[in-house]
Amino acid sequence: MSFFGFDTALPGQNKGSGRKRNGAKKNNAPMDFEDTYQGLGEYENEEDDYLNAETFGDGTELGADFDFGYGRGNLDANTSSAGHVEQPALNRSYASAAASAGPGALNAGYSLPSAHTMDEGMDFTPMESLWTNQSAVIPQQQPQNPIPQVLSMGEIERQQFQQQQQQQQHGYMNMPPMPPMGYGYPPHAYGPPGVNNTGYQGLPQDFSQSVPQGYPQGLPQGGPMAMPMHMAPMGPPQHYQPIPVPMQQHEQQTPQQAHHQAPASLPQEASPAPVLSREPSESPSSVQPQEVVRADQFSSVGVPEQAFAQEMRPPHNAPGNRGQAIIPDQVMREIAPRETRRGSMRKPQEPLSSEELKKLRIRQAKVDKILRHSGVMTPRDKDFITRYQLSQIVTDDPYNEDFYFQVYKIIQRGGIVGESNKGLIARAYLEHSGHRLGGRYKRADVALQRMQSQVEKAVTVAKERPQKSRENLDGAKEGVLGKISSARNSKAPRRQLQIPLQKEEEDEVTSQAIEDVVQSMNGVELSSSKARRRSSYAFRSVDQRAVLSRSGGRKFVLSLIETVYSEVLELEAQLRSGQDTDSSALWETLHISDDAYEVSPFISILSFDKGVKIMPRIFNFLNKEQKLKLLYCFFSELSHLNIIVTSSYKTNPDPSDSQLKKLELFQSVFLKIIVSFLSSSAEFLEVLGLLLALVKNNNVSFISTSKIGLNLITVLISRAALIKQDVSRGNVLSSMEASTWNEIYDKLFTALETKLAVVFPPDEYSSRVVATSSSGTVTSATVGQSSKHQFYDQSYIWQFLASLALSGKLNHQRVIIDEIREEIFGTISRAEQLSSTAPVEEQQIALYQRDKLYQDLNLFLNVMGLVARDGEISELK
Amino acid sequence: MSMDTPLDLLKLNLDEIVFVKLRGAREMTGTLQAFDSHCNIVLSNATETIYELVDGDLKSTTKDSEMVFVRGDSVTLITTPSE
Repeated sequence: MSFFGFDTALPGQNKGSGRKRNGAKKNNAPMDFEDTYQGLGEYENEEDDYLNAETFGDGTELGADFDFGYGRGNLDANTSSAGHVEQPALNRSYASAAASAGPGALNAGYSLPSAHTMDEGMDFTPMESLWTNQSAVIPQQQPQNPIPQVLSMGEIERQQFQQQQQQQQHGYMNMPPMPPMGYGYPPHAYGPPGVNNTGYQGLPQDFSQSVPQGYPQGLPQGGPMAMPMHMAPMGPPQHYQPIPVPMQQHEQQTPQQAHHQAPASLPQEASPAPVLSREPSESPSSVQPQEVVRADQFSSVGVPEQAFAQEMRPPHNAPGNRGQAIIPDQVMREIAPRETRRGSMRKPQEPLSSEELKKLRIRQAKVDKILRHSGVMTPRDKDFITRYQLSQIVTDDPYNEDFYFQVYKIIQRGGIVGESNKGLIARAYLEHSGHRLGGRYKRADVALQRMQSQVEKAVTVAKERPQKSRENLDGAKEGVLGKISSARNSKAPRRQLQIPLQKEEEDEVTSQAIEDVVQSMNGVELSSSKARRRSSYAFRSVDQRAVLSRSGGRKFVLSLIETVYSEVLELEAQLRSGQDTDSSALWETLHISDDAYEVSPFISILSFDKGVKIMPRIFNFLNKEQKLKLLYCFFSELSHLNIIVTSSYKTNPDPSDSQLKKLELFQSVFLKIIVSFLSSSAEFLEVLGLLLALVKNNNVSFISTSKIGLNLITVLISRAALIKQDVSRGNVLSSMEASTWNEIYDKLFTALETKLAVVFPPDEYSSRVVATSSSGTVTSATVGQSSKHQFYDQSYIWQFLASLALSGKLNHQRVIIDEIREEIFGTISRAEQLSSTAPVEEQQIALYQRDKLYQDLNLFLNVMGLVARDGEISELK
Repeated sequence: MSMDTPLDLLKLNLDEIVFVKLRGAREMTGTLQAFDSHCNIVLSNATETIYELVDGDLKSTTKDSEMVFVRGDSVTLITTPSE
């Protein structure tokens, strides 16, 4: 039952110990030690080793292989060995039972480690049985003689089976007399403290496995018993048919007390046998003397379980005394109930067919495997450890400690928040820890439920974690469950550098203070008039640093961005936890209505890619009024916007690849936000207000030389036009609104008049952009064509002209056409040239480009009822 | 934003292009994606320049990486690139 599949048993250790015994006391053991021996027996130990008792509970030998799960019916042996007197009272409980054999050893270790092992084979036997996986070791035998219990589990099992079979043949189902005892007499054994039916006890424990396997010592001995029990439920008791082998072993080993030997050997080997044994106690008598005895004891089953038990008890008591005394009360309790159960579990033995036998054996083997470490820990122990482990991986605040996983999870599930986090953890934990889901009854759901409740508890523990660490409770547990690292988790990782905190803010403060002073001295101009000095247009701010320096400096702006990010993250966390969000702090950090700087810091924030990228998330938290303010600020200071400067062919005739990428990013992120805001929630007048801010505070003709600027103007105009049309369909536009619109449009048009042709970038610029972007990944040019044929996409220009013309009156349109006539014809001739000069193999591409050119051009011409086709302009029909 | 440690300055340059000098006569330029207290850093679109002396002549080779992790113990200097 090791938690992580770790095999706690040291192979061969048991054997080793067994050997020693054998060698020391008897070499005549029929068992082939070599088969099982792993050389550990060579340890000389013995006496000094007993000091290990403190750790292992006692007289385990060096290299001992602790078989906590496998307590077998050795109890009998133990009991039989009168030598063990120590534990009587205590052991009674399961402990005693367990102790009977293996457990006894453990127990004995405590009580009489040296004495047992040293003095009497009895002690050894019990110990052996405990430690050896094989039930073969019979405590009883041991007591009298050092029994060579070198048999491997497999061997023992085999022997047991054989015995059982033989017995069956004889008519005795009882495998090992021991088991029966335990089974049959659980009550008795338990009842009388003095009578430690180790064997029985052991059984109970096994049974209890589910519950209190925690008591290893008891288990080992009980193991065998337990086995049967388990077996019984699983299949027919017959599995355990006693095998003659065990008997032999016992005999060979040493003539311990007949009873002891028999029972002991049987129990261990026949771990399964016990069940069987119960049913047919007959076998014991019929079987060979020793065997018989054993059978009686164990298998007493049908016959006189009680009797056996009673018989056994006396001896058991002695053995039981050994380590059992130590057993916790809980165990005792648990045991008792189980015992009772056992009784119920017994089934009438029936002769098995060879096939059935085979099956049974296989099953038995499986069960043995499973039971090997069963009972090492009680469920409570396991719960505790599970909880402790879970508490290390569970968090009450997953979004803070596990952010990326949580997001990944959401992404994976398509944004649906499915199963609870705790459920997931419980499931994952179950799977990874190799838990048998549901155990005996395969109740996976039950196991999951259990684990979920564990997770719940773990969360509680996690919540308390900080407090605990404060009290240094973790320190106390350090080492008990491995290294405890809860004090340093993701929340508080170990710091590489411990640097005393200083108030670095002083810097900012002083600079701000200076600003204040300057402002107050300089006077009214700055502070009284809200408008900043805008005489300086972007022409001189090509250098980004110039702009930055006018809004607080690069470092200031960068730290602003970091602050914005942390504010946004916090708001998002609040949103996830369902709290109300308050964006006022975020609003403050944007410095939008901060007049302390010549250029708003917000504009400078947009100079950085990361500043642009965070915008959509900022918009999530701003209310409409704040958004409007933000956009108003944005359009008012558009000339200072770094992206306008870099995307204008006038200020930046030779854009670099990275600049073009920035442009793309801005378009795809921020422009998108503006468009969606304008189209979803902006009122007509608000759009006009933004347009007015743009026209009033900026050099419109400069802005129109930049692609982004032109896009922004286009968005505003076309949105206004759309709303106007919508409104005119329903409510009539108020005369005030209409006149305002006309006024603003006039202003805009006046600003653009005579400079409309400059919206077309010169050819050198276009070709440079194409060259740069085709070498990079940017696609200012048309996508989907070989770089050779990429050309500067002018559609944004025609879109602008179209929307401008759409909102204008006839005289406006005439002015527009006059000013850009050359461009119109230039475009037409270019389109025609494409198709005529392109090589045949590129005809397709040329045709496509030509169509594209016409398409863009017609965007504009169609507004005025014209259409360009095949080199000519005609009326749109 | 609180500016408590030297690394907070580095934080300001997240998502910005940085120049990193490394032991072993190497330099890197790339966009700073992440860093930690050990100065382990992750750079995207990074160019590594390796200098070596071949027969007394200084030669340099460059390597481009879309995304690269630089272990902190080799970092000697991080700054913004001189333009």
